[in-house]
Amino acid sequence: MSLAKKLRKLLESGVHRIGELEIQTDASNNHFVLSHHLDTSRAAQPTFGGLVHHAGPTDAREISTYAEDGSYRFTKGQVNLKRGWVMTLENEEALRRALDQFYPACVGLFIAWQNGDLEIENLRDKLARQTGMYRFARTISDAGAQKLVQAVCGPAHQCAKKILWQLNPVTPLDDSEASRFNGIPGMVPESEAIPLLCREACNHFVAECRKAAKAEFEATAKSP
Amino acid sequence: MSLAPKPNTALLIVGHGSTENPDSSTPYFEHADEIRSRGLFAEVHCCFWKEEPSMREAAYMIDAEEVYVVPDFISEGYFTQEVIPREFELSGPTTQLRGKTFHYCLPVGVHSSMTGLILRRAKEIAPDIDPALTTLIITGHGTGLNQNSTKAIRDQVEHIIASGAGYAAVIDAYMEEQPFIADWDKLSQTPNVVIVPFFISDGLHSYQDIPVLIGIENEVGAAASQRGVFRHNPHHVRGKTLYYSSAIGTERLLADVILDQVYDFDHVHKKL
Repeated sequence: MSLAKKLRKLLESGVHRIGELEIQTDASNNHFVLSHHLDTSRAAQPTFGGLVHHAGPTDAREISTYAEDGSYRFTKGQVNLKRGWVMTLENEEALRRALDQFYPACVGLFIAWQNGDLEIENLRDKLARQTGMYRFARTISDAGAQKLVQAVCGPAHQCAKKILWQLNPVTPLDDSEASRFNGIPGMVPESEAIPLLCREACNHFVAECRKAAKAEFEATAKSP
Repeated sequence: MSLAPKPNTALLIVGHGSTENPDSSTPYFEHADEIRSRGLFAEVHCCFWKEEPSMREAAYMIDAEEVYVVPDFISEGYFTQEVIPREFELSGPTTQLRGKTFHYCLPVGVHSSMTGLILRRAKEIAPDIDPALTTLIITGHGTGLNQNSTKAIRDQVEHIIASGAGYAAVIDAYMEEQPFIADWDKLSQTPNVVIVPFFISDGLHSYQDIPVLIGIENEVGAAASQRGVFRHNPHHVRGKTLYYSSAIGTERLLADVILDQVYDFDHVHKKL
């Protein structure tokens, strides 16, 4: 069964949320209506309550690239998706394309996770394969990496993904808001949402590891 | 030559992407849209080094069991020979992995059909000038770390000279190695100069850095999509008439070069 068909099954089972997006199914024509979850009631009105209408998935990238304040949303797990728009999608394949733009690969990652097929990579494995300028990131201490998770990840730092990885097979992340977050922004039961999953540290996190590792090295070099 | 439809196959375009410049990944999505509109593949996706989805996430959004991976990169080098194979866990031209077959194609920038795109772009931005009075400069990043990074540009220079396009001179120049693009006026003996940046996107380097190096901007400005006013050719600087094009990768027809690389892969590795 294709991912799009599996997505439809999820919606039929009661799922209606992914990230900050609300997915409504139009029972009259089986189309899908996508909007920011805070615009759900307007999107359900006959003329979309004045929301700017986009037909088809093409504009999903444009909508998701900038936050309301004009800042670049370089990771899509950020919880600052623009409001004021609605997108209509004529079938589950178009919906999947749109979702892959708003939250890249997140539908597929969730389905693989449900099936037990998602390969999770711990931080040390991710850092160990870095080359070039990022090679130095692997020298970060465990304590430094734990601290960084709490400083970089989680909804408080604009990332609403559920972290699945550990430092290494025997070292889980320290308990924190970031490590505890379930990948579902907004007040929605877990059975009604596709969580945003983080199967390995992103390159932004790796870049931050490099900076922290350098700071650790310099601090050690300066100490008597 | 044209690529026969592959209705059970996915095309995965790999780009660099950026955490700082949103324009960096625009061409990849445009190339994907263009190819998707032709209906040649069951699926067309993009993935990135610096943006999402990552290369390791990409397989999770693909239904097809056979996937052509095309680096939408300008040269062979660190990314295409080290990073991309490592991230996809590729072991050769064709790799079987987790129930899928990945075919790893050459990067777009090394394909011979890039020559036509460069000439087309040069003609578009300076349609009325006499090539005999014009130097065509193809510019890239350049790095002392990898000789391959400039080879694609040097090859294009040779192809254009051999094509008989009629330019008084065709030369290569770089941001970070000699000959430096900052010296474009000293490198050219003609009154007209056309510079085509051999980059995929109008990102930091081609849109913001090089214009300062060549003297058409005083300081690094905003990203292309954040500017209200677009630059207009020609620029009269350093006693010459200068035409500066957008990055070659922003040419929508680069989609054809992606397809050319898939076609070539089939003929080299599948003997089709």
